Amino acid sequence: MIKVENVKKAFGQTTVLDGIDLTIEPGEVVSILGSSGSGKSTLIRCINGLEKLNGGQITVDEFDVGKPRELAEARKRSGTVFQLFNLYPHMTVLGNITLAPIEVLKKPRAEAEATALALLESVGLGSRADAYPAQLSGGQRQRVGICRALAMQPRYLLLDEVTSALDPEMTAEVLAILAKLAQEGTTMLFVTHEVEFARQISDRIVFLDKGRLLVDLPTKEFFAADGGMAQPRVAQFLSKMRKD
Amino acid sequence: MRFADFTAFDLVLLAQGLGVNIALFLATSLIGLVIGIAWAIVRYYRVPVLSEVITFVSELLKNSPVLVQLFLVFFGLPGLFHIRVTPVTAATITLSANTAAFIYVIAVSAIESIGRDQIEAARVFGLTRWQVLRHVLAPQAAAFAVGPLIALLVNQLQVTSLISVIGVVDLTKIGNILNMRTLKPFVVWTAVGLLYYAAAKLVALLGTRFENRLRAHSAWRGL
Repeated sequence: MIKVENVKKAFGQTTVLDGIDLTIEPGEVVSILGSSGSGKSTLIRCINGLEKLNGGQITVDEFDVGKPRELAEARKRSGTVFQLFNLYPHMTVLGNITLAPIEVLKKPRAEAEATALALLESVGLGSRADAYPAQLSGGQRQRVGICRALAMQPRYLLLDEVTSALDPEMTAEVLAILAKLAQEGTTMLFVTHEVEFARQISDRIVFLDKGRLLVDLPTKEFFAADGGMAQPRVAQFLSKMRKD
Repeated sequence: MRFADFTAFDLVLLAQGLGVNIALFLATSLIGLVIGIAWAIVRYYRVPVLSEVITFVSELLKNSPVLVQLFLVFFGLPGLFHIRVTPVTAATITLSANTAAFIYVIAVSAIESIGRDQIEAARVFGLTRWQVLRHVLAPQAAAFAVGPLIALLVNQLQVTSLISVIGVVDLTKIGNILNMRTLKPFVVWTAVGLLYYAAAKLVALLGTRFENRLRAHSAWRGL
């Protein structure tokens, strides 16, 4: 279980997260929607320990992200996929995926590579294991990014706008894989602008506005006229997204 | 006037002198590389006090003439501590320290040139700071640093000629002796210059081959 309690985060004078409470149970797919600057990405960066909190507490399976000793354990339980892929350019696809399993989980190389190849096979990149990131398309790179996170066998997958840097065709490639993962019961926290996709795969939808959690509802209720749509900010946001 | 002629044997003497320069160059470059990188690692870990001391020392070494440093070590240290410092020792200490200072700067800027996103990508998967340096930053920083590093080494090879001033019999010193004997400065210094040129060219060529290998897979060459 990921537990976010009254989390506050500010960059200098700018408050980015203003008292967020959120719980994610194993097996859930939770999407976070909100305008740019609403704090969605920062929330993910707080959960995986890339940002220090100014207040509140985040625990991943009882491990407090704010305590350096527990952070390592918390990080082993969550896998992050980045908006801009963040692959290691000097390593092959296989090297990118096996680095953390070998170094952090101390897996034997052969085992780590077998796992990596199976993952690559499952996302349709079985033949590109020896390619370098620069030789791949954006969609392929992000699929590698997903494999890299999955290779750590995380309990929770944190996805930070993973399709924002991709064109519609490549976005479809990546979303198809996420849909499959959701079906298989992977726990996911999904920051996105893909409203329709979020609607299809999420159990719950959370809406952030100016650093505050405005709505946290099961998907159906979120899109119902008397549910999330009753909130003017949500209705306004969704109508804008649909126009695009 | 037999002794005044420039003979083929003199070329052997010059080659021996070049050997002294190359040996000193290799030794001081290696020591400088090890020390410079060690300093950069201290800085990477932001070790308090020590990081500041290293930055200050490297500033001193970079911003004063090598010849002055050489005099300080060769004449100054024996005077202060009443120890014997041979010309070769003085040359080794000075050139190693000087090379280390420049390699430190190259290494630090190379590490800092790698984007934060790379560090974050490795840290979220639980890699320690050392593992991040070893597997993610260092290989990319090396590809970045190899160009400036080769330029530095070519320069440091020429700088070894300064040791002739404190009495090490290197290529420049032998050139000086031959010049006095033959009184043919144009011939002698041309030969000396060509030998330095050939050695420097060799360093640059080897460096470029190494550079191409390091950068073969990097994104910024576009493959």
